[in-house]
Amino acid sequence: MIIQKISRVLSNYDNILPLFAGACAILAVVALLSLPLPYFEDQLYPKQIVPGSTLNPYDRGGPPFTRVDIRLQYPENSPTAGYVTAYLTPFSLFLARNTMYMGTTIVAHPGGILDEILYNTRGLDTVVEPTILFISFAIAAYIFHRRED
Amino acid sequence: MNEIGGIPLFYLEFGDIVAYFSPFTLALFLLALVFSVFVIVSRPERQIDIAFGADAFFAKDISLAELRFRRFMAIACGLACMGAMVTGDVFDFTLFVSLVGICNVGIVAAVKNHHVQDAAYQYGLVALAGTVPLFSAAAIVVTTTGSLSMLELASPGAPAVPLIARALLVLGVMGEGMAPFYAAKAEMFRAPGAPYVIMCSLSSLLIFLRVTEVVLLL
Repeated sequence: MIIQKISRVLSNYDNILPLFAGACAILAVVALLSLPLPYFEDQLYPKQIVPGSTLNPYDRGGPPFTRVDIRLQYPENSPTAGYVTAYLTPFSLFLARNTMYMGTTIVAHPGGILDEILYNTRGLDTVVEPTILFISFAIAAYIFHRRED
Repeated sequence: MNEIGGIPLFYLEFGDIVAYFSPFTLALFLLALVFSVFVIVSRPERQIDIAFGADAFFAKDISLAELRFRRFMAIACGLACMGAMVTGDVFDFTLFVSLVGICNVGIVAAVKNHHVQDAAYQYGLVALAGTVPLFSAAAIVVTTTGSLSMLELASPGAPAVPLIARALLVLGVMGEGMAPFYAAKAEMFRAPGAPYVIMCSLSSLLIFLRVTEVVLLL
C-alpha cells in the first residue's frame, strides 16, 4: 500500500524537515519561473530614493509637527497621521545634519525616525513583532534555565 | 466585496489594519476564545503509565514551573490565534501565524523528555523555515497589488494577486501549523498535560481554516 509507505516515511520526524524544505525549494523554483511579476505602480506605502537627503530612504518630507500628506489605506482611522513623519531626537538631528549617511543608522536611534507608517497607521504590526521576539526569548530562557537545575 | 465568509458584522480599526468579524471569522474567534478560557481554568491531565507484566501503574507528575510555563504559552497561543482569525491585513495575518507557530513550539519544548524535545526541535526548524514562504507571500502581495488590506483586495476592481503568492502563503501556514499533521504525533503527544497539547492542534486547525478564507478572498 502506497499510503502505508508514505506514513512510514513520515513517522520518522527526522524526515519532516527535508520534506518541507523540498516543498519550499520546489515552490521557490516555480516562483522563479513565474517571474517577472507585475509591479503595481500605485503603491500604498511608497518609498522614494532621494539621493541628496540624509534621511534616505525614510525621508517622507516636511518639517516635524506640521502636517504632511502621506498615503493611507483608511485615512479616517488615523486622524493625526502625517504629524510625526520626520521626528528626530536632538542627537539624531545632529547626526543627520552633519553626516551624509548616519542619519538613519542604528546609532541615530532610539527615537530616531518615527516612521509614520510603522508607528501610527500600522501600529498593531509593531506590537505583534516584539511579541514574537519576547515569546521566543521566554522559551529560550525557560529551556536554558531548566538545564541548570 | 467578495463575501466568502459572510457579510462582516463589525469592524475593529487599528489604523490601516482593520479586523473584521464576519460570521466565519467570528465563529473561529469564539472557538479560540472559548478554548483559551478552558486552558486558563482547567488543570492538566496526569498521564497514567501501566507497568507491563505487573499489577502497577505510574502517574506522571507535572512540576508547577512547567505547568505555569506551558499554560502561559497556551494562553499566548490562544491570543495569537484570536488575532489571526479576525485580522483583515495580509502582513498582520502572517505575523500572527508565525506567533502561533512559535507558541506551539513553546508548549511542547517545555516538557522534560528526550523524545519530546527532539520532536519539538525538528518542529521548531520547520516553523522557522515556514516563515520564509510566509513573509515572501506578503511581500509579493504588496508589490503586485500595492495594498495589504484583505478588504481592499477582495473588492471588485482590485488588482489580481498572483497565484504564486497564494501558494507561498499556504505553504508558509503549513510550515507553522505543522504540529497536528506532524507524523511524529506520538512523540509530541507523549508530553503529558492535555489542554496545552490540544492547543497546538486547535490553533493549527484554526489557522488552516482561516488561510483557506484568505486565499479565496484575495
